[in-house]
Amino acid sequence: MYVITREGLRDLLESLQDEHALFGPVHHEVSGEVLFDRVDDPARIDIDAPIPFNPPKFAFFPQFGRILRYTYDRRTKDLRMEKEPLGEAKALVGIRSCDLAGLLCLDRFYLGQEFVDEFYLEHRKRTFIVSASCVRPFAQCFCVCTDSGPCPREGYDLNLTLLDDSYLVEPGSQKGAEVAARLNMPEADPGLVSERDRRIDRSISLFDELARENKAWISRVVNRITTGFVSEDVWEYIGSQCFECGACAFVCPTCSCFNIEDANTLAGSTDRVRTWDSCSFEGYTRMAGDHNPRKPVEDRRNKRFFCKLSFSQSKKYLRPGCVGCGRCARICPGDIGLPNVVACIRREITGRE
Amino acid sequence: MGYKTGVCNFCGTGCGNLLRVEGDRILGVFSAPGHPVSRGRLCVRGWHIHELLNTEDRLAYPLARLAGGGFVRVDYRSALDQVVDGLSRYAGEEIAFLASPRSSNEDNYLLAKLSRAALGCNNIGLASDSGHRHCVDVFMQGGCWPAMTGSLADVETAALILVVGSDITRQNPIVGSRIHLAARGGSHLVTISSRSTQIARLSHRHHLVRPGTQGLLLYAMARILVEENLQDRDFIGRYTDGYEVFVRSLEALDMGAVQQATGIGLDDVRETARRIARAPSAMAFFPSGISGLDRETIARLYNLFLAAGKIGREGCGVNPVTGISNLVGSYDVGAAPDLLPGHFRADDPEAARRLSKTWGAEISAAPGRHPAEMLSARPCGLKALVIVDHDEEIVRFTQALRRLDLVVYLGAYANPITEFAHLIVPTTTFAEADGTYTSTERRIQLMGKKLEPSLEVLPLWRICASLAERLGRRWSYGSAAEVMDEIASVVPSYSAVSHAALEHRFGLQWPCDAQHPEGTPRFAPESPRDRLRFVPQAAPSAAPVSTDGYPFLLIPGRANYYWHQNNVMKKTHIPRREYNALLLLYPNGLVEICAEDAARIGVRDKWPVNIVSADGSMRVAARISADVPPGTAYVPYFVQEMIPGFLRAHGAPDFPGEDSVIPVRIEKV
Repeated sequence: MYVITREGLRDLLESLQDEHALFGPVHHEVSGEVLFDRVDDPARIDIDAPIPFNPPKFAFFPQFGRILRYTYDRRTKDLRMEKEPLGEAKALVGIRSCDLAGLLCLDRFYLGQEFVDEFYLEHRKRTFIVSASCVRPFAQCFCVCTDSGPCPREGYDLNLTLLDDSYLVEPGSQKGAEVAARLNMPEADPGLVSERDRRIDRSISLFDELARENKAWISRVVNRITTGFVSEDVWEYIGSQCFECGACAFVCPTCSCFNIEDANTLAGSTDRVRTWDSCSFEGYTRMAGDHNPRKPVEDRRNKRFFCKLSFSQSKKYLRPGCVGCGRCARICPGDIGLPNVVACIRREITGRE
Repeated sequence: MGYKTGVCNFCGTGCGNLLRVEGDRILGVFSAPGHPVSRGRLCVRGWHIHELLNTEDRLAYPLARLAGGGFVRVDYRSALDQVVDGLSRYAGEEIAFLASPRSSNEDNYLLAKLSRAALGCNNIGLASDSGHRHCVDVFMQGGCWPAMTGSLADVETAALILVVGSDITRQNPIVGSRIHLAARGGSHLVTISSRSTQIARLSHRHHLVRPGTQGLLLYAMARILVEENLQDRDFIGRYTDGYEVFVRSLEALDMGAVQQATGIGLDDVRETARRIARAPSAMAFFPSGISGLDRETIARLYNLFLAAGKIGREGCGVNPVTGISNLVGSYDVGAAPDLLPGHFRADDPEAARRLSKTWGAEISAAPGRHPAEMLSARPCGLKALVIVDHDEEIVRFTQALRRLDLVVYLGAYANPITEFAHLIVPTTTFAEADGTYTSTERRIQLMGKKLEPSLEVLPLWRICASLAERLGRRWSYGSAAEVMDEIASVVPSYSAVSHAALEHRFGLQWPCDAQHPEGTPRFAPESPRDRLRFVPQAAPSAAPVSTDGYPFLLIPGRANYYWHQNNVMKKTHIPRREYNALLLLYPNGLVEICAEDAARIGVRDKWPVNIVSADGSMRVAARISADVPPGTAYVPYFVQEMIPGFLRAHGAPDFPGEDSVIPVRIEKV
């Protein structure tokens, strides 16, 4: 373990920028809200900023990403395919514990199953991750209920924990240890390590206030959803408020569903693109001849919450599909983000408003 | 590189977005947190705007039609020369400009100036504007602003929200979201429509009126307000004129007939009327686009809210919701035959004189005509038409278009209309040029240029300036910001607006002037000198009724399935997948009927049926829907053949709103 000052953090970012494109939390120029974005100037990154509005998944799973380019000449029947060039190496700085857990879910989906997705792998393998422990929870958060925070346990190269004016640095990989060594980071004394533990414990205790309403019910709801005890009325009530915008999937750090389209370009070539997709869309499950196993909106909605909270799905990710970031609650036009769905099911269980 | 703040360009809500710029392309979009309207939300269309920006259906270079048919590529400069050569051959009254409500304020201002000042042509009008035009007329007649009188930021403070005739969660989902969230937070939500919609299902009270009787229901509510002495006498006395005439106009109503015609029990009507009157604050929302309300219904809604004193305070207002990004702004800058920039009447000599002075060119006081009106007139008298960025609306005029000597098309995307053009000049997209767009709540927002155009194209305002220069005018605008400076000098409600003032903020709501440099969220009478007027309303006409021969009332609509910018949606991937499904499943159109009626006729979903009216017939597929009540048939008219083949045979208005009702029978084929 090491300890660095804010200056040391700046050195770290600048050194990462030598070999990586830099991504991190920045403040929006108008609203001051926090976004996770690519930056040219490391000074824009505010590693202590609240949880960003958007998850970092676009860095590995682009919203509209080319995976192949080909040119077909109708006249000569000549077909030329071009390999997609290697992406740039990326350093993601200030990733919160929930988002890191989300990234690990994406890893399991794209890399950990029968097929390894080489495009995702290409994005992912030259990545350096500097995560940040949450020494305080934010209003939307409930990672303690989904086992994904406030302090990351795996998946980072370096993890930083804010201690007043300095950061405790934990290497989580060989790569991370090498960077720490190269920058001659000073060793932390054991007192600082136990101070880190105290601060994380305090952070966890602060969740009590935030999670009192619904969030503490998540494990009960996991049980309920897994065993199929949620009544159709409840799903219909939830589905009636769905605006079918797809945003819950787009802001979810673990949502991995995609669509593939061949998009012709003005230049005459064709891009095969992988785009984000969402189970809230009717077209997502529609098959030829208008057969759709999930045609009514409530069937599509309960699919989402099965995916996030059922045990059968959690077995695939080796953790719940929800990481407790609370973004879907902020972005949903219908007010059926996951915490509210938990509240609906809680009301069904308790029979109380 | 990275996310750049912008404004969604689809509907009129004016949501904030973040466009992901990578190299010379826009490869993603995210909602902008903290935006005062969208508050970090977007709808399915907004979430895919980058797909439109990557379409192959761009107009890549100027084209000129060859005498023998087909097009030849020409260079940009010579294309503009040819436009000027072509237009100079005609007198002002032989030319018309069909402007686009998707163009920026700067674009439409200079287009109107080109038309009026450089070509002496007052025939300029907007596509798809009929519904909003009614609002502009009614509100101006009523002494109010010609746009939303309330503010979207107020929705949560309204004790009562009334939604009339709109499938608002589909047409303007983020406005629908704010209404839904307000209802969840305690506002009482009432809806009036002839068809069940999501917002109707989410409301506390839905009045499922018989087709064509929304206005009648509002009329009855006003009558109840007066009868039960629930009107806001203080407000009426202090700020309004015309109340006595309004009260007398209500006497014509036979309350006994209301229940019969609307299908709504009088007790229910009374309850809603009382709620509107007694609520400490109330807001009304209705669609204002091509499937908007008719003039009479808007007038009744306006009068009802005036009588209830629900205009001019926080949480109050009568609020038209526009379907296209810059519909409001396009009127503000004068894209109408009879309105100059600033909503001054073109036949007001003082206004014309002032504008002539600013523009340094004499403006003709002769009344202009709307291009759509000219195209449908016989003989039409029109020789040359300039069309900007138009979608499939124009299909209704294909015959008339073929007869024109010159059709010039200016736009960013390929479009069925280009096959009628003689000259095609491509323009930038909204992401490739600076421009301001005015949302439904009068919010003027700057969409700064996000990337250099990948093609050799100019923004519309610059094309207009180049054309004017070729016509011998000296227009020396260096930037869109300079065009806005001129708009600010001409349009009083924009007088404190500039690109510099709009930068680094999520827009300013007009009136934005010396007294209100930070904009004005809602209409508020500032002194008893600000008189509002009750708008004259006609006695209720007979509600359409079904007969034994024609037992169904057919409502033509479109927003529910296709949203009127289908032509834009076709250029995306995910929304196209969602929207096109119906076109694939019902390739020749559809009529929605309820299961009971379908069983009576003996048809199932997707079976063909004939729709027969007194004036014509058409064959479409039946679609069984729980959203229409027995006796009602709903036809989304997105299929081209249905318009000339059926709806036009009825002499129906060009694009009827959902209050246009046709009695029909439906026969199994």
